[in-house]
Amino acid sequence: MIRTPLRPLARILSARAKGENPDAIERENLRLRHEAMRDKARTRAELRLLLLGLAFFMAYGVIGARMGLLAASEPMEPRAAASGAQILSQRADIADRNGRILATNMLTHSLYAHPRDMVDPARVARELAAIFPDMDAAALERRFTDGRSFMWIRKVLSPEQMQKVHEIGDPGLLFGPREMRVYPNGDLAAHVLGGASFGAEGVHSAEVIGTAGIEKALDARLRDPAQAGEPLMLSIDMTIQAAVEEILGAGMQMMNAKGAAAILMDSRTGEILSLASLPDFDPNDRPNPLVKGDPGDSPLFNRAVQGVYELGSTFKIFATAQAMELGLVNADTMVDANAPMQWGKHRIKEFQNKNYGPLLSVTDVIVKSSNVGTARLALQIGGLRQQAFLKSLGFFDPTPLELVEAPGAKPLLPPKWPEIVTITTSYGHGMSASPMHLAAAYATIANGGIAVKPTLLKRDTPAEGVRVLSEPVARASVDMLRQVVTRGTASMAEVEGYAVAGKTGTADKPKRTGGYYKDKVINTFAAMFPADDPRYVLIVTLDEPVNTMGTEPRRTAGWTAVPVAAEIIRRSAPLLGLRPVIELGPPDGITAVRN
Amino acid sequence: MSFLEYRIKTAPTGLRKVLYVNWALVLLLTAVAAIGWLMLYSVAGGNIETWAEPQMKRYAGGIVVMMIIAFVPIWFWRNMSAIAYGVALLLLVAVEFFGHVGMGAQRWINLGFIMLQPSELMKIALVMFLAAYYDWLDIRKTSHPLWVLIPVIAILIPTALVLVQPDLGTAILLLAGGAVVMFCAGVSWIYFAVVIAAGGGLVATVLASRGTSWQLLHDYQFRRIDTFLDPTADPLGAGYNIIQAQIALGSGGWTGKGFMQGTQSRLNFLPEKHTDFIFTTLAEEFGFIGGISLLILYAAIIAFCVISALQNKDRFSSLLILGVAANFFFYFAVNMAMVMGLAPVVGVPLPLVSYGGSAMLVLLAAFGLVQSAHVHRLR
Repeated sequence: MIRTPLRPLARILSARAKGENPDAIERENLRLRHEAMRDKARTRAELRLLLLGLAFFMAYGVIGARMGLLAASEPMEPRAAASGAQILSQRADIADRNGRILATNMLTHSLYAHPRDMVDPARVARELAAIFPDMDAAALERRFTDGRSFMWIRKVLSPEQMQKVHEIGDPGLLFGPREMRVYPNGDLAAHVLGGASFGAEGVHSAEVIGTAGIEKALDARLRDPAQAGEPLMLSIDMTIQAAVEEILGAGMQMMNAKGAAAILMDSRTGEILSLASLPDFDPNDRPNPLVKGDPGDSPLFNRAVQGVYELGSTFKIFATAQAMELGLVNADTMVDANAPMQWGKHRIKEFQNKNYGPLLSVTDVIVKSSNVGTARLALQIGGLRQQAFLKSLGFFDPTPLELVEAPGAKPLLPPKWPEIVTITTSYGHGMSASPMHLAAAYATIANGGIAVKPTLLKRDTPAEGVRVLSEPVARASVDMLRQVVTRGTASMAEVEGYAVAGKTGTADKPKRTGGYYKDKVINTFAAMFPADDPRYVLIVTLDEPVNTMGTEPRRTAGWTAVPVAAEIIRRSAPLLGLRPVIELGPPDGITAVRN
Repeated sequence: MSFLEYRIKTAPTGLRKVLYVNWALVLLLTAVAAIGWLMLYSVAGGNIETWAEPQMKRYAGGIVVMMIIAFVPIWFWRNMSAIAYGVALLLLVAVEFFGHVGMGAQRWINLGFIMLQPSELMKIALVMFLAAYYDWLDIRKTSHPLWVLIPVIAILIPTALVLVQPDLGTAILLLAGGAVVMFCAGVSWIYFAVVIAAGGGLVATVLASRGTSWQLLHDYQFRRIDTFLDPTADPLGAGYNIIQAQIALGSGGWTGKGFMQGTQSRLNFLPEKHTDFIFTTLAEEFGFIGGISLLILYAAIIAFCVISALQNKDRFSSLLILGVAANFFFYFAVNMAMVMGLAPVVGVPLPLVSYGGSAMLVLLAAFGLVQSAHVHRLR
């Protein structure tokens, strides 16, 4: 760059020659140079401003274009989050034999939190505590602010709760779909259904797994996606189940019993139409198992299946039936019934030290419930044959019922089988089995001698079973049981219109320390009806009942279990579609008139 | 020079200053603020007391502050520049130790009558300082490396202090605002080219390092970048704000749903709906036309500032006006870009519209300086 000198010599000399002040030239040049410099700076600044303006304008353009683009776009909710939200497996419903729902699923939501995304953890904690009274605002806030990035708040929410949580409006609170098992009938058939709870839990879904009863036993079937659409059809009839539970509950209260169980079974198919055990529970809200005391006292305990009791005199019919089957006796054969009977160092006595002897027909052994008569028959049969027969009736193995509790309920058998065990077993002492075992064995007698496998699943065809008794023997046994009702210990079982046959059983409860309680009994009534062609078997068991309606406390089955069973039959027989048989009384109201 | 000539050529005095205030600029500012009041009224669900009324009061207070500043001669403010910068710097340091923590960052300092963000104050103080510096500096030394280093340090110290608060948005605004003043002062473009190239190279290197053994960022930091580039990848997490804002803009369409008819913002889908994301409400209720109108108002404010700067022969004044205008521009440009998903979500409010006292007060004070420069310009 060529700089103009501020004092060009030529001009200064000529100025001096003209007598002008040469400083003016310098000033003038300086001014010109400054002007040039300022102009340059100005141009540069303006160029810079132009560039900046251009950049601003481009930014404006981009923002404006983007705004136009967005304005023209279709608003769309993001979908990506939903991809994992499907519920993968639907648990199949459980229905009764007529398709009425016993267990189904309900879609609810779980509530979880991402505390780090929370705008105001203190407010969220406060409002959550207001929605869920069991939560503590301070504790929640502490957990929200301790740095965790995830926490569960609630596993299931009601729609109202969910709406309230929505209204908090905090982005740190999130919902996950949650399928929940629901038992719409509450505690109806609680012991059959058992219950379900959550297994592996994720944000988008949770596994529902069975925890007890048929829910656990058939968990794989219920969770099988291929069969998710078909409900699992049970043999239970909801109407009858409700009636049985109601009557059993009332009967338990009237007889001051601490527990009760009832089983109603179709003897031809082995289908359980009703299975009740009291006290019971609501499977929607399963209680926790007892931590101390006898687990048998828990409402979760299924007395009909898990309760293994000495069943008492109800066993006597097996001895007479086997004796007839073996051809040793017939219904009218007279048997030695002299009591007490001495066997080695044991004395076999009758109830209240009675003596039905010296001789009793086989029928009367059953009707009068003679221990001695049964013992004599059992001795004729012999221990080995007795064991084989009881085994064929299913008394030596757990019942094959579709409940997770069933395989654990093994009958308690004497370790050895000397003759005294043969004697006591024949009248139901010394060996214990569940009411379900008894139901299956009585079904064999009721259906004409075919062994029965009890089931809770609806069956379309009669079960194929092994013949254990010949038909005439079974028929004769039913006749004997019918006479127990008409002129024996179960006279209260007479139900108008329906002929009931059955056998009572009263067993002293064994002490834990050994020996038996004098005043604690288990009363059982094993019944079948209608007696002329028995189809249904009903077992009613009461735990520690006392009938205090008379002048003295009565603890025999005839006074406790039998009236309860009779009431159940009175209510359920019409529901089963049985036609009442009107027995015409003697025509005393009519007088023959001869004109 | 006659007496009359003197009077015209120099700045007005006394109440005559009122006549020389740039009233068009005041009108524009008020128009933008009025849009803000409307939006705050709408966002509060038709309730004036929630946000709109306090905002109006603050605006009135801010206008008074602006006028007071405008009436004080600009040379007083030039002399105050270095002190203002020093005070702002001290406050920035103080906020590190005594500041209030809000929304996960330590930004606020309690002055008794107002909660102030020193970083806001620093925005003007920095512009003032740089303008005064280049006014003082011999114009021939502007691009000399040593004399470039001083303003660079003056920018980087507050930027670093704001960055550790942490407040990335304000740090970027400080950096950009300072750079614009330096650019307008005439610092050789070579420096800017080098800085831009270095910045670009750094970003490229960081991105290239992903998945290699010398990875420069943590995985989660890369994931945040991914979320910015594609918010739908994490619609319930980091992408939530952006997506909801874009839904609001999209549902507004060209003409909008009408005043008080917006659903996206009023139904609590959007967090920060009355502060950083208030533009979505405007876009939803008044559509593209409403959005572009606000943009035009902002542009007019910038244009008035630039014209005022060009008219002003005083170097300090024009640099100051341009610096304030640039800060204002970055403010709303970053906010709108963020709302529309063009920039990552950084906490930058929409100037004069978003609810908040500190930012508006500081902004109006800055426009007070602009007015002072305008009133006291050499004619």
